[in-house]
Amino acid sequence: MTRVLRALGAHLRAHLAIMFQYRGEVLLWSVWGIVNPAVLYVMWSSAAGSNPSQEIAGYDRAAFAAYYLMMMVVGHLTTAWDVYQMGFFVRSGVLSPQLLEPVLPMWRSVAENATYKVVTLMFTVPAWIVFALFVSPEFKTSGWEIAAGLVATVLGSILAYLLGYAISLIAFWAPKLDALGEVYFGLGMFLGGRFAPIPALPPIVGAVAKVLPFRWMYEFPCELLVGGRVSAADAAFGLLAQVGWLIATFVLFRVLWAAGLKQYTAVSG
Amino acid sequence: MPQIEVKELSKTFRVPEREGGFMASVRSIFKRRYKEVRAVDSVSFNVEAGEIVGFLGPNGAGKTTTLKMLSGLLHPTTGEARVMGHTPWKRESDYLQRISMLMGQRSQLHWDLPAMDSFIVHGAVYGIPKPEYQKTLDELVELLDIGGVLKKQVRSLSLGERMKCEICVSLLHRPAVLFLDEPTIGVDVQMQARIREFIRKYNKERGATIILTSHYMADVTALCRRIIVIDHGHILFDGSLSELSRKLAPFKVIKIDLDRDLNGYDLASLGEVLTLEPRKAVIRVAKDEAARATSQLLTDLAVLDLTIEDPPIEDVISRVFGGAKTE
Repeated sequence: MTRVLRALGAHLRAHLAIMFQYRGEVLLWSVWGIVNPAVLYVMWSSAAGSNPSQEIAGYDRAAFAAYYLMMMVVGHLTTAWDVYQMGFFVRSGVLSPQLLEPVLPMWRSVAENATYKVVTLMFTVPAWIVFALFVSPEFKTSGWEIAAGLVATVLGSILAYLLGYAISLIAFWAPKLDALGEVYFGLGMFLGGRFAPIPALPPIVGAVAKVLPFRWMYEFPCELLVGGRVSAADAAFGLLAQVGWLIATFVLFRVLWAAGLKQYTAVSG
Repeated sequence: MPQIEVKELSKTFRVPEREGGFMASVRSIFKRRYKEVRAVDSVSFNVEAGEIVGFLGPNGAGKTTTLKMLSGLLHPTTGEARVMGHTPWKRESDYLQRISMLMGQRSQLHWDLPAMDSFIVHGAVYGIPKPEYQKTLDELVELLDIGGVLKKQVRSLSLGERMKCEICVSLLHRPAVLFLDEPTIGVDVQMQARIREFIRKYNKERGATIILTSHYMADVTALCRRIIVIDHGHILFDGSLSELSRKLAPFKVIKIDLDRDLNGYDLASLGEVLTLEPRKAVIRVAKDEAARATSQLLTDLAVLDLTIEDPPIEDVISRVFGGAKTE
């Protein structure tokens, strides 16, 4: 474990240096992370405003504002891109030198992911504040909801990372995963409540979302942080569901990793 | 006990194949053809601690695949291997900590950062104590003469500079076993010589076991007393360089210095004339004809000096592989 922490620290510093070098690129990615929910907020709040009841599925303009503000934060903290990256690593042979190191290559990716999330806070936090001032969100969050929401955000972030990484291991068998990455991202948007709060979608979507992990990564922490939408019992169930999905994803990762290494052909040098 | 033990090691790849052209690519949508390629076929050998062994063979012979299995990158299809008591493909941290594999065509360095940053990361990943790290780094920087390039971004380095940095990062944790896959590829002759000298020194000072593959015969002849010749996944030969010449060369090279001009003497009737001057000649003769040709030359000509040699190793290898590159 000491070795992993040491390696993690060194990779964090290296990725920090890389991100400072490509600060323009990093800034644009973080802008993308804000624009996406902002556009969706505009769309849904307009729809709510044009409804006679001034709301959709219990969300009025202020509720949508709070929801999408929290989705910006949760979306930022749960972002992961290994599913896009691993195919290239396998195809080009970049993975081989990483596999020769005495620490799992995943830790290198964890460091990259964590560095991005921390570094870009200097762009995203001011943007979140400006967005909040502009859209006047309404929060009904109690103390226990904040605590549960923070735990749920952390668990959701780990789950999103680990599931993305586990799926990226399919690259050992099919080393071009760009399309799969898009499908995975699309499912997360739709069934994770990022496109719209799940109650605003047809009931069948809600039923499907319940049995998939995406909701627990994005919508669940978001609803807790907005407040007034999740009962204490549902919150406890949700946290348990997150832990359950984490365990299942970890097992999936271990199985795919072991099988993938046997399959690995170490091409390109 | 050998440090590397390889027994009946084989690796078969299943690779997709199709004819060239548009129609073939359309057909491959519906029906994909695969071919089983046996890259390494029942290879067995042992390597003692401190040995430098050269792997020789043409492209696709199975050299790199064997090294990849021994470093733990690839799982074999069948067979066994033990390196320092470890099964490589179990990829135990203790094993990976004690080996290094340098792939000439694959970088271990962070492309966007100065090489020094990659060295620091490497030191942390391998848990090298600070004083040891600094001492090894200072030694390597001096030996490889890379003090001037450490602060340059890796992507802006020349190939030779990058290769030296790759070697440096591979050796920072002082591996006991080194797998070198084309360590001098793409670098100029002068740099090749320096890298060779460095590898020899590392082996001598650290007692490291080294397996080396190279297309450059000079790498192998300069560094390896023992070579393993591999082709189509099979070991064709395992022994010393001189033994290789004796076993695989079907001919001898006779060099003569004469007291008088040849005056049209028909050397070609004895063998293939390689060089010809008025009073000097080099001819290649079939091994079992060497004694008779020598006797005839001594009888017919005023010979001042005559030597019979095995042919250069490059020629032997070229013939074995039917003209494979042996620069």
